[in-house]
Amino acid sequence: MATEFMPGEHAPDAAVATEQHHDLPVGQDQLLALIDNTNAVIYMRDLDGRYMVVNREYERLFGLRRNEIVGLTDHDLFPKEVADEFRANDLRAAASGKPVHVEEFAPNDDGPRWYITVKFPLLDSAGQAYAVAGISTDITARRQAEEQVRKLNAELEQRVRERTAELETTARELDAFAYSVSHDLRAPLRSIHGFSRFLEEDYSDRLDDAGREYVARIKSSVAKMGQLIDDLLRLSRATRTELNREPVDISALATEIIEEIRGAEPDRQVEVDIASGLVTTGDSHLLRLALDNLLSNAWKFTGKCEHAAISVGSERQASEQVFFVRDNGAGFNKRYEHKLFDPLQRLHTADEFEGNGIGLAIVHRILSRHGGRIWAESELGKGATFFFTVTSSSPDAEPS
Amino acid sequence: MNNHPIMLVEDNPDDVMFTLRAFKQNNISNEIVVATDGERALDLLFPESDAAPFNPALVLLDVKLPKVDGLEVLRRIRSDPRTQSLPVVVLTTSSEETDIVNSYKLGANSFVRKPVIFDDFVHATKVLGVYWLLVNQAAPDWHTGG
Repeated sequence: MATEFMPGEHAPDAAVATEQHHDLPVGQDQLLALIDNTNAVIYMRDLDGRYMVVNREYERLFGLRRNEIVGLTDHDLFPKEVADEFRANDLRAAASGKPVHVEEFAPNDDGPRWYITVKFPLLDSAGQAYAVAGISTDITARRQAEEQVRKLNAELEQRVRERTAELETTARELDAFAYSVSHDLRAPLRSIHGFSRFLEEDYSDRLDDAGREYVARIKSSVAKMGQLIDDLLRLSRATRTELNREPVDISALATEIIEEIRGAEPDRQVEVDIASGLVTTGDSHLLRLALDNLLSNAWKFTGKCEHAAISVGSERQASEQVFFVRDNGAGFNKRYEHKLFDPLQRLHTADEFEGNGIGLAIVHRILSRHGGRIWAESELGKGATFFFTVTSSSPDAEPS
Repeated sequence: MNNHPIMLVEDNPDDVMFTLRAFKQNNISNEIVVATDGERALDLLFPESDAAPFNPALVLLDVKLPKVDGLEVLRRIRSDPRTQSLPVVVLTTSSEETDIVNSYKLGANSFVRKPVIFDDFVHATKVLGVYWLLVNQAAPDWHTGG
């Protein structure tokens, strides 16, 4: 309906036409009542830009009476740049002969206000524009909200950038630290071991049994510390290396690893059962490291079993694919289960089983980087089962 | 058996001692010339005077070195026609992936991490000596300097 009204050269007549079903034609008072009871700003100016009529909202907004405004131009009411823009939009509507939509802004006592404005020409019987009417709706609140969102987004992006830079710095520092640990701690260890060996080789006739025993203990401690440094580095590397996800054949990996472990201790009789067709998606190097630790543990903790058995398999638990490594070895006390995956924590004394407690921390780190989990079930003396998932149940999640 | 000297580029005097002892225990009798930093290694290989350039059978090169580091020494060795075929074994304490990758990128023939356990060190030296002095066939050009 509005489109019939807006371009009409005789607006009141056009309005009458829309009301043709009624007996009474709509009069000027009624139309004024209509435009006075909206919170849009409505006005009409002739082609010279002189106000012909404004609505009550206009009066309220600019604190002027309509009889004071009629005959004035925007250049009498607004700063020049603002008035120039209003005028240009008026002329554009007059020239185009149809409604134009523009965003305009006007200064106000309580700051600048933004409007979405439709301007349309009023045409005479010859189709010539003789005035331009405008309806302006205040969108300041919306613009402020948008501005706020933009600002928050910019702040957020800035914060993400800062955080990323911090993390990159931390990663670099960690790299430098790992490098220095690797180099600076290993070099003196090598010296201690080397010179202990020299003592044994060159001075063994001048040492008594106790002296020789001390040298042997120095060497054994150095070997342990060397292993500890290597394992800590592996833990740090499991944290630092980039994840490259690809299909991984867990069955094949486990078979390879068991062959390696068996190769180092060919005399041990261990029954190994690896289910076929175990596949997942993950970083093959890191998963190999994780499996290596789990299987080496199983191998180690079945060392005192008469019929050692290790199995690798998978089962579905609550729609998740859960892998497991099971052994019938020493097991652990359920009371200390929460300490199982903490670095340097051991649930067995060094006399019972060797180790430094880094292995399971590495496994835990690797799996959580993949978005997976690890947990264990055991009873002391009756073996242990380590369950793990590699991918998270929600495929998008990728915790660091 | 290649009888040219072996060049050991190593700043840690303990490691120098261990390497010399390990070679001795393995009956490798080649002369061992030690450069205690990268600059000295380069001076020996590329003398500024008219002195004849040093032509070792093998370079054992540490990475972390004072003044000029091992990777820079390696880069210079590979970019000079006189030494580009010289066998270089990077022998270092660290096993940082970046060192391994960069060593091979720059043309190292081998990367060996010095073991903490002396007996393993002796074994590694033996394997290196046997391979590079006995088994490996060196490129014919670099001994004659052309």
